Amino acid sequence: MNVIEIENLTFSYPGAKIPTLKNISLTVEQGDFLAIVGNNGCGKSTLCKAMNGLIPNFITGEFQGKVLAGGLDTQKTDVGTLACKVGYVYQDFENQIVRPTVLDDASYACMNYAMKDYLDRGRDALKKCGLEGRENDYIWQLSGGQTHLLALAGAVSLQPDVLILDEPIAQLDPGHADRIYEVLKDLNENYGKTIIVIEHHTEYIADYCKHVLLLKDGNVAWKLPADEALRHVKDLTACNIFPPQVTRAAYALKQRHVLPLTTSLPTTVAQGMEIFKALANESALTNEKVLANESTLSEEKGKAADTAASVAVGAAPCQADAQAAVEFQDLSLSYRSVKGKPHTVFDHLNLTVRKGEKIALIGSNGAGKSTLMKLMIGLLKAGSGQVSVFGQPVRSIKRDALSRLVSLVYQNPEEMFIKDSIEADIAYAMKVRGISRWEERTKELLEQFRLTELKDRDGRLLSGGQMRRASLAIGIALNPQILLLDEPTANLDIATRREILTTLEAMKDMTDTVMIATHDMQLVCEWAQRIIVLYQGTVIADGTRDEIFGNARVRQLTGIRPPEIFDMGQALDPDAYCYTIDAFVDRFGGMENVWNDQKAFG
Amino acid sequence: MSGMTRKLSDNILDKFSMDFLRNQVLKNAYGNDDTLIAKMDPRVLIAWYLFFGIVPWFANDLIFLLMSFMIVVVTTLMARVAGLVLALFILGVFSQTGYLLIATLIFGGDASAIVPLLILTLKVATISLASITVFSGLDPDRLANGLMWYKCPERLSFSISYAYRMLPMLMEEFQNVLLSYRMRGNPPDNSTFTGKIKYLVYQVKVIIHAFYPLMLNTAKRSRTTVEALEIKGYRYAAVNKEVKKMKLASLKVTYNDMIFLAVSFLCVSISLLLTSIL
Repeated sequence: MNVIEIENLTFSYPGAKIPTLKNISLTVEQGDFLAIVGNNGCGKSTLCKAMNGLIPNFITGEFQGKVLAGGLDTQKTDVGTLACKVGYVYQDFENQIVRPTVLDDASYACMNYAMKDYLDRGRDALKKCGLEGRENDYIWQLSGGQTHLLALAGAVSLQPDVLILDEPIAQLDPGHADRIYEVLKDLNENYGKTIIVIEHHTEYIADYCKHVLLLKDGNVAWKLPADEALRHVKDLTACNIFPPQVTRAAYALKQRHVLPLTTSLPTTVAQGMEIFKALANESALTNEKVLANESTLSEEKGKAADTAASVAVGAAPCQADAQAAVEFQDLSLSYRSVKGKPHTVFDHLNLTVRKGEKIALIGSNGAGKSTLMKLMIGLLKAGSGQVSVFGQPVRSIKRDALSRLVSLVYQNPEEMFIKDSIEADIAYAMKVRGISRWEERTKELLEQFRLTELKDRDGRLLSGGQMRRASLAIGIALNPQILLLDEPTANLDIATRREILTTLEAMKDMTDTVMIATHDMQLVCEWAQRIIVLYQGTVIADGTRDEIFGNARVRQLTGIRPPEIFDMGQALDPDAYCYTIDAFVDRFGGMENVWNDQKAFG
Repeated sequence: MSGMTRKLSDNILDKFSMDFLRNQVLKNAYGNDDTLIAKMDPRVLIAWYLFFGIVPWFANDLIFLLMSFMIVVVTTLMARVAGLVLALFILGVFSQTGYLLIATLIFGGDASAIVPLLILTLKVATISLASITVFSGLDPDRLANGLMWYKCPERLSFSISYAYRMLPMLMEEFQNVLLSYRMRGNPPDNSTFTGKIKYLVYQVKVIIHAFYPLMLNTAKRSRTTVEALEIKGYRYAAVNKEVKKMKLASLKVTYNDMIFLAVSFLCVSISLLLTSIL
């Protein structure tokens, strides 16, 4: 049975010259777990809003064709009736929550539709979404992941057959992301719900989804079973979707003729195990050979793994004697809470950041990352202990002097825009300080961050990536000695994330000491020299990427997760430390000749 | 000495940060939902408020006013109102009437001015404290439900609870925008007296300017909220009598409400009795 049937749907927003959706025909079967992928602006959200009847009932435009949701024609049915068939969770889900307490919000829709048992339905939905026991909490007591679950519960309470989620895990750390997908899986398998997600994280698609739909310029390119879909590496990368790293690594190895062309590409680590196993044995063999001749990289890496066995507390050794840029001495801090005792964030924290370091600060949501940054710019005052910047206590430095030393780029770039054009925003700090040549420097910055063409636009109206670039430009306008970035890649699709990664890489020359708080392990692995792991307000690990990701205890405790390719490498060979696909391909596929030899023998 | 003044002003500034305000607002709205006042039926409390919010205006009897004042002081204590609100109340009442007393004394008045001024002060204070008890002792949702029972439009009651839902978020955003100004702006030097005035003017200007980004960001957020409300059937509920009935079904008058009313009534009667005897 099909829960969604779309026939020849064409839709254009008012005033748009070309339609957003072009002649789409599509069916979704009951019980499916469908991922919709596609480039930015290819019409994914528009398609989903057509499925739940917001289009054309609430958002008007030119609408042709027919959409059946749960057997109802969306054009002839009102939004309320459709909401009981198709639930929707927005990407900016916190704006979807309208009531102050958890149970209240979960049951709000049911109450509005005059269902007598609304509270029971709300409770039931909370239970299904794993929020049991939080019924009477206020929404600001929830973490980001829990807030998302609540938004989901609000949709589930109406007991729809179909649930649509727009980028459910874009803002979450891996632990919370797993939880969301486990809940979705449960709803799909045990309650028979059809789940449709707009998703960029192909690793999650490989693990959870049954089908994948590729949208391209408002058309359906194809809809295939998930495994098969993810093997279409070329189609996907052409749309800026990056298949799982394991798949891409196998693809690259195939291109190099290390793997036979007939190999079907793996999509998960488990599948990768089957396919790469042979390579691992060979590479171990050759490694031994090479080892006999010269000391290899893998031996050094083996040493790194040894040191990682005990949690390293020092910093990257090469910079141990550099000048201290920021020092936290015996720092304690607690927040006032609305009710009851203050919430302790840091308890006697000691940490030194040295000049010139490129640091990644990681840890789950609520571990204290943002708080640490706010302390450095003097926004928060420590309860006891002190924070000093270049030897001076932060509190004793004048505000404008401090802002030349330390600059913070917020997680939410909208809050950085205080003027009505990004040019004015970038220029503002230099202009009011009367810095000579500020006009030229603004021009340079616009050029460097590829914003010249957008300079007259309001920052808020830019796309995610452009907004992020603009906020970075604002952050470094005053040439600060220490730059702090809070989640610079959150909420971005993978392609834009790569773009920001490139920008950050290019910025390395323009900046001195940089600290990034992030969940994005790819960014951590490719960019950071030193990694600090915060867990419940204490630094539980501090060192290089090998030391952090090689340490099973730290990984288990904090739920941080290295890129998939690293796990793949480790599964094949515990001494392999591959952070990028290229490294993996070199490590396991560099023995092209050997393989050919063997083939010749065999 | 200068070190000490600096420390003191730092302290006050720290206390009065946006964070503090946000905390106080939340505390005021939701932090004390376990008090007797918060558990009362909002309809009863609103009725009670109608008496203590209106009658003192027309009464001139000192004993009655004193008694009413005492009652509302007790209820305010019972409601465990947040410190900031009380501080504002005290500042408000005494800036209204306190200066009158000083002015009277300076311009040749004598102690006889105290009694009429005291009556005025008592009136204002009683009414203010009664309002504080009801509006900050009750959590916004219960207050909204109570108002709805009295046939206030659904939109008003939704606005009240939605405002409280949004307020913490807005304040946080406002704080961040202000911080952007603080980080990137260049405030005038505030070591001299004229510098201090300039600094103050600058601060006020920044606060005004900060509203522009705040409004735009809020507008951006509300696009999703409006769609979500549509899906959640908000418009549908606004015209449905059944829904209203369901919402109000949670309201229930208990013994505590009765006792509260009885005690208040008793106190007022005693004061009236005393008035007629004396």
